[in-house]
Amino acid sequence: MNYVSFSTWITTAPAWIAGLPEGLQNFIFQLFQTFVFADRWKLFANGLKITFIVTIGALAIGIVIGLIIAMIRTLYSSYVVTKPPFLLRVFNTFANIYLTVIRGTPMMVQLLIMGFVIIVPKTDTGTILCGIITLGINSGAYVAEIIRSGLMSIPKGQTEAGRSLGFNYIQTMWYIVIPQAIKNILPALGNEMITLLKDTSLVSVIALRDVTKQAQNIQSLTYNALVPYISLAVIYLVIVIVLTRLLAVLEKRLRRSEH
Amino acid sequence: MNTENQDIVIKVENLEKHFGDHKVLKGISTDIDRGEVVVIIGASGSGKSTFLRCLNCLEDPTGGSIIFDGVDIADVSIDINIHRQKMGMVFQQFNLFPHKTVIENMTMAPIKLKGMKKEDANVLAMKLLERVGLADRADSYPSQLSGGQQQRVAIVRALAMEPDVMLFDEPTSALDPEMVGEVLDVMKTLADDGMTMVIVTHEMGFAREVADDVIFIADGIIEEEGTPEEVFDHPKSEKLQSFLSKVL
Repeated sequence: MNYVSFSTWITTAPAWIAGLPEGLQNFIFQLFQTFVFADRWKLFANGLKITFIVTIGALAIGIVIGLIIAMIRTLYSSYVVTKPPFLLRVFNTFANIYLTVIRGTPMMVQLLIMGFVIIVPKTDTGTILCGIITLGINSGAYVAEIIRSGLMSIPKGQTEAGRSLGFNYIQTMWYIVIPQAIKNILPALGNEMITLLKDTSLVSVIALRDVTKQAQNIQSLTYNALVPYISLAVIYLVIVIVLTRLLAVLEKRLRRSEH
Repeated sequence: MNTENQDIVIKVENLEKHFGDHKVLKGISTDIDRGEVVVIIGASGSGKSTFLRCLNCLEDPTGGSIIFDGVDIADVSIDINIHRQKMGMVFQQFNLFPHKTVIENMTMAPIKLKGMKKEDANVLAMKLLERVGLADRADSYPSQLSGGQQQRVAIVRALAMEPDVMLFDEPTSALDPEMVGEVLDVMKTLADDGMTMVIVTHEMGFAREVADDVIFIADGIIEEEGTPEEVFDHPKSEKLQSFLSKVL
C-alpha cells in the first residue's frame, strides 16, 4: 500500500483538522503522507545513515589523500635552488595530474565513470564503498590544496628547529608543523566538510539510497514534490548549522595556546 | 692554546656550499675540539651562517667533508637525524613550538627520539630550567614569554637532548638590547661548564671574553683564525682590519 487518498485520510484524521482551511488541511495531509504513512520517516532515517556514512568515509579518505599530496607538493617546492630527487619529481608529477583531472571534471561525471566504468559495484555495500571512494578521491584534491596552504603558512624556522633536534621530515611534519597548520586551516577544512556533505546528494546517480534519493522516492510515491523536497532542504540545513557550531567550538579550543 | 690532549668533535675539511651558480662557501677547513668555544665573525653575506648551518646539514654541503661521531655527515647516504640529536642548535628567531608549553618544547625530542620516560624528561627539563632561572615558566606558552626568556628556553630545549656540541646562529640578533645580556650570560655559563660551542655572533665583546678560537670568514673562506687577542688586537688581513674598524 503506497498511496492513501485525501478523502480516505480525512475520515480517519482527528476531528479538529476538518475545521481548518482547505489549504492547511491539504498541507497536513502531505506531511502525513511524507513522514507518517507506511512509516516513511524510516526512509529518511535510512537515507541519512547512508549520507553520514558516505560523508565520513569520504572525508577520511580525502584527508589521507590530501595530506600525502600536500606533503609531496610542499617538500617538492622546498627545493628552490637545487633539483629535487628523482622519486620526488615522479610523485610530484602524479600529484599534479591527479589535481588537474579531479578539479577539472565535474563530480557527477566522476561518479558516473566510477560507478559504471571502473568499479561497477554489484552489491549494496559495494555501491556504498564506490560512493565513498569516489567522493574521497574528489575531496582529496581540494583538501590537498587546503592542507598545502596550511603547511606553507608555518614559518620555515619551525621545520628547521624540529630537524635540528633530530626529528626526520615526517616526524617534524606530524609533531610540529601539522598541529599548527590545522589551526590555520580549520575554517577551510570545515567548509570542505560541509561541501562534501552536500555533494553526497549526487550519489543517487549510482543508485545509492542516500537521503536525497529517498526524498525522490517519496515524491514518486506520493505524487507530491513540495513537502519531501522542502523537508530534504531543511534536513541538510539543520545538519550544516550543527556542524558549523561544532567547528566553531573546536576552533576556539585549538586557539587556547595563543593568549 | 694547548689542543694536543683534546679530541676533535667536528673536523671540517674543504667544505663547499653552492646555491646554484653562487658559491657561498669556497673550501673551509677547521677543527672544533671538545670543550672549545669557537666564535665565527664576518660581514653579512660572508657565508658565516651558511657555514654553521652546514655543520648539522640544515644546508646540505655541496662538497668537502664534516667528520662528526666518526662519520662524514656531509655524505647524503648517512642518516643525518641520528647525528643531529647530538648537535643542539639555537636560532636567531628562537623557533620555539608555539603550540607547546615550555616544558613540552623541551621534553618532546627526548621522549620521542631517545625513548626517555616522560617523568625522567620532566625532571631533566626542570633542572635545566632552574639553571636558566625559568623554572616558574615551565607551563607557560612561548607567546607569554619575552624574547630573552624564549631564547633561554630555546637553549635549554637543545640541551635537553644532551648534545656533544651546541651551534648558535646569531642568538642575540633578534633581541631587544636589554635582553641580550641574559642570553649571553646563559651562554657564558655553558661555556664555563665545558660545552663545545660554535657561535655566529655580532657581539664582539662577548666573543673576546668567551671564545677560545675566533674565525673570521670573508667571501666564503676563512680569512683569518686565531685567539681573541690575535684576531681583535693584532689583525693581519686587510679585510679583517676593515671589518673590525666598522664593528668595534
